[in-house]
Amino acid sequence: MTLRRVPLYAFAWLVALAILVPLIYAVLGGFRDTGQIAQDPIGLPSPWVWSNYGDILKSGAFWHQLWNSVLIAALSTGLTVPFAAAAAYVFARFKFPGREWFYTLFTLGLLFPIAVAILPIFIMIRTLGLLGTPFGVALPEAAFGLPLTIVILRPFFASFPNELQDAAAIDGCGAFGFFWRILLPLSRPVLATVSMLALVTSWNMFLLPLIVLTDSGGWTLPLGVTNYSTQYGADTARILAFTTLSMIPALIFYAFAERHLVRGLTTGAVKG
Amino acid sequence: MVKSIRWALAAAAAAALLVAGCGGGDDSSSKSSSSGTPSSGKPVTINWWHIANTDPLKTVWKQAADEYMKAHPNVTIKITVLENEAFKAKLTTNMQAGNPPDIFQSWGGGTLKEQADASLVQDVTKPTSSWIGTLNPAAVGLYKVGDKQYGVPYNLGMVGVWYNKALFKKAGIDAPPATWTDFLADVKKLKDAGITPIAVGEKDKWPGMFWWANLSLRVAGKDAMAKAGEDGSFDSPGFVKAGEELKKLIDMQPFQKSFLAAPWPGATGEAGTMAKQGAAMDLMGQWAPNEFNANTKDKKGLGDDLGWFPFPQVEGGAGQEGEQFGGGDGFAIGSKAPPEAVDFVKFLVSPEIANKAGATGTILPVAKGTESSVTDPNMKQVLDTRAQSTFVQLYLDQAYAPAVGQAVNDAVQTLFAGKASPQDVASKIADAAKSGG
Amino acid sequence: MPPSQGDSATLVRAGRTTRPAVRRRRGRGRLATIALFLAPALVLYLLLVVFPLFQVIRYSGYKWNGLGPLDDFVGLDNFKRALSDDVFRGALKHNAIIIGLSLVVQLPFALGVAMLVNSRLKGRALLRLLFFAPFVLSEVITAVVFNLMLQPDGVLGGLNVDWLGDTSLVLYTCFVVISWKYFGFHMIIYLAGLQQIPRELEEAALIDGARHWEVFRYITLPLLGPTIRISVFLSIIGALQVFDLVWVMTGGGPVNASNTMAIYVIDWGFKRFQFGYASAVAVIMLVISLVFALLYQRFVLRRDIEGALTTMGT
Repeated sequence: MTLRRVPLYAFAWLVALAILVPLIYAVLGGFRDTGQIAQDPIGLPSPWVWSNYGDILKSGAFWHQLWNSVLIAALSTGLTVPFAAAAAYVFARFKFPGREWFYTLFTLGLLFPIAVAILPIFIMIRTLGLLGTPFGVALPEAAFGLPLTIVILRPFFASFPNELQDAAAIDGCGAFGFFWRILLPLSRPVLATVSMLALVTSWNMFLLPLIVLTDSGGWTLPLGVTNYSTQYGADTARILAFTTLSMIPALIFYAFAERHLVRGLTTGAVKG
Repeated sequence: MVKSIRWALAAAAAAALLVAGCGGGDDSSSKSSSSGTPSSGKPVTINWWHIANTDPLKTVWKQAADEYMKAHPNVTIKITVLENEAFKAKLTTNMQAGNPPDIFQSWGGGTLKEQADASLVQDVTKPTSSWIGTLNPAAVGLYKVGDKQYGVPYNLGMVGVWYNKALFKKAGIDAPPATWTDFLADVKKLKDAGITPIAVGEKDKWPGMFWWANLSLRVAGKDAMAKAGEDGSFDSPGFVKAGEELKKLIDMQPFQKSFLAAPWPGATGEAGTMAKQGAAMDLMGQWAPNEFNANTKDKKGLGDDLGWFPFPQVEGGAGQEGEQFGGGDGFAIGSKAPPEAVDFVKFLVSPEIANKAGATGTILPVAKGTESSVTDPNMKQVLDTRAQSTFVQLYLDQAYAPAVGQAVNDAVQTLFAGKASPQDVASKIADAAKSGG
Repeated sequence: MPPSQGDSATLVRAGRTTRPAVRRRRGRGRLATIALFLAPALVLYLLLVVFPLFQVIRYSGYKWNGLGPLDDFVGLDNFKRALSDDVFRGALKHNAIIIGLSLVVQLPFALGVAMLVNSRLKGRALLRLLFFAPFVLSEVITAVVFNLMLQPDGVLGGLNVDWLGDTSLVLYTCFVVISWKYFGFHMIIYLAGLQQIPRELEEAALIDGARHWEVFRYITLPLLGPTIRISVFLSIIGALQVFDLVWVMTGGGPVNASNTMAIYVIDWGFKRFQFGYASAVAVIMLVISLVFALLYQRFVLRRDIEGALTTMGT
């Protein structure tokens, strides 16, 4: 039995290697300078350049951008998940005229990338007076996050047996009460999943913050990395260092949420 | 029953309108002052977008703004610094929504024309007439549409061949080639010596366009190029012949490995290849040495081994001596900008600031008399060539309307990839130009 | 008995056989409640997704460079032009290739990895973490790193293959990078499905003398049906919209060899300033996706639907 396992282990760790190598490349690249990378693409840092990471961490800009990314991601997730949960609740547990039409309407957002509609979105944000504000970024992100979130949440919410809702009604629990006191608490894993997805999507957004934010003090991390390219040049080493640093918070979120994440998609939602 | 839904939606819509009303339509600078009378004393905000996102030029611009604000206390200059591609994306959206910034980076040419046609940039012929003559006329011309001035230049450069003297010596070449025939012979010599003759970053498309454009300028001539810009006659014999000459070069396989996937900048790009002595020649603008430096370990680039020569003449071509290919940078004035904006730009291109900018080594200033601020010998050579040039052809993807410019880039890339003939290239560009882009 | 976390499987199976909750109270009160729950999402969505979408559809009927007023109405010309443009047809073909490769290569691979991680392999928790990590990275980082690694002297340079410059290879190179980034997401989905299959079934079959691949073919695979159908749906939708990664890696080149529909749209809209045309192509893309989504829901996912309930995906 153990001998059979060897090729399986080999395969698994081969795949793991394929994932680690690019990541390590990025991390190490930050410890070299662009000249080194140009002359010697696959060498180890020699000498080890601390200033890339150092300068970035010392610069106020990086921390500002980090803060902005966190703020906007939090706002965006904080809008997406509750709104989508409320909508998914009625889709899942109530019958009403036009329900499937509304549901299909919501899935339209899955079918085209946000960049295509960036001009009308810009105009709408401007009309709402939100240009240059974190909400101006968070609202469109939330709007475009609704489809996938609703699509994931609906079957999960639908999987609770009716007896549960009936029992709650007998105890005097109305629609809202059931939602707030029973459904949501029991849905923690899948809510963690969709929160994680919304957060990561917001964290990595580039075009929307670029268009909406006016003051570089409000920039998010993906915008910050553009500082290391110019009209005529690109500081490859700095770019690697910066992108490595920007991915650390996202990876930390992920490590914490991973337990919930896997369970979230596992329990009920996908089986259908 | 559906009423309750309608009610909810109506309430939401009303709320949205309310917010819109309170939020106010103007987020960026909308000045109440009409152009014509500088309102001294009344507070004015100028939104300035530029792309010098790294030092030293970034600091030079900032200090200039600070100085101006000190001298004019009622003026506030808000600077937005963006990277080149990010700038283009953001400017596009802002323009499309009718929100142009007051002063912004511009390369002139076809894009500026489209903006002028849409009334998104301001006609500043009158406010600048008294001092625009102190700037290099070729540069100034790039920011004119018809007879009207819409922007002011601060940099005009030249594209030429940067070469590695040491590698040339190794291949037995004593002096840079003056004619196209000599050039091709030198390419062969380099190949025979086991040296990659040319580096090109064709992923970005415009480096390849430089070759085609220079050859077109030399073979078809500047008048044919101007004419083609008007009527789309890119399929005239001169252009086809230029393409054929280029094909001759491409067929010699003189480029570095994987040149179709290499961009211009960075370690994997054209610049990186030159920096590590991976190729002998590079047809590029005056910004090249800086990028070479950045990509070498000791930041000295090719040092004394770096040389420059202007693009060779093609025998029998319609091009004349003194006609060069290049372009520059300038500032366009947005349609909503206050008069103070023009005044500030005047300050930016004045010798005082221009000298500081020139000393950064990143630009070749255009104010007459500032040439001495440029000290690097290679840059001086470029500057001299510029001074002697009678005509500057602007980069094709800027000179023509954006769609045509991109069509040029695309068509030339197919030539480099060996997927099209010179005739195809010429026809494709002509088609794009004639269909209005 | 209120369901607990571990009872989720039972929960799901119970839910499957029960009719959806039927109304007890009729009248305006119920609809008002529904409206209230639906309103926030709906308002946000209408303002920032539906309205912009209508604008895009509106632009598609004009020849417009984005600047100035919309005054050159050309009706369906933009659409005709797109459908007869070789570059667009090429991009469409590339999307189709990516769909095909995803279904044939990426999904089975993800399934294999999921099965691996589901088995009693040592270190599977760590592996699970690792395999999902690329999904968390931004596309830009992924593209930058792979561009560096795939250059001629790069990590795979020794093999002397022009991964990104060879027009016949570049699309496949992009596909590999896309797979690298997204296989973890599909793996998670399959993992969820696998964990629903009772081990007793598989073990019983093994005891009865079935071989491992027979167990897989006759037990595992059928029970994974719904899961596979959802994974396929998300994969195809994703493949139709491939943009960010390829844009940064190759820009759609060289010579349009790795062009996709979304790249085509952004290129024509933002680089060539032909906004009306780009919008038309975006509408074509949307229509293709919509038709697929509706057909898929009607014919494929129907099997997993009970009454008016739908499963994950439309």
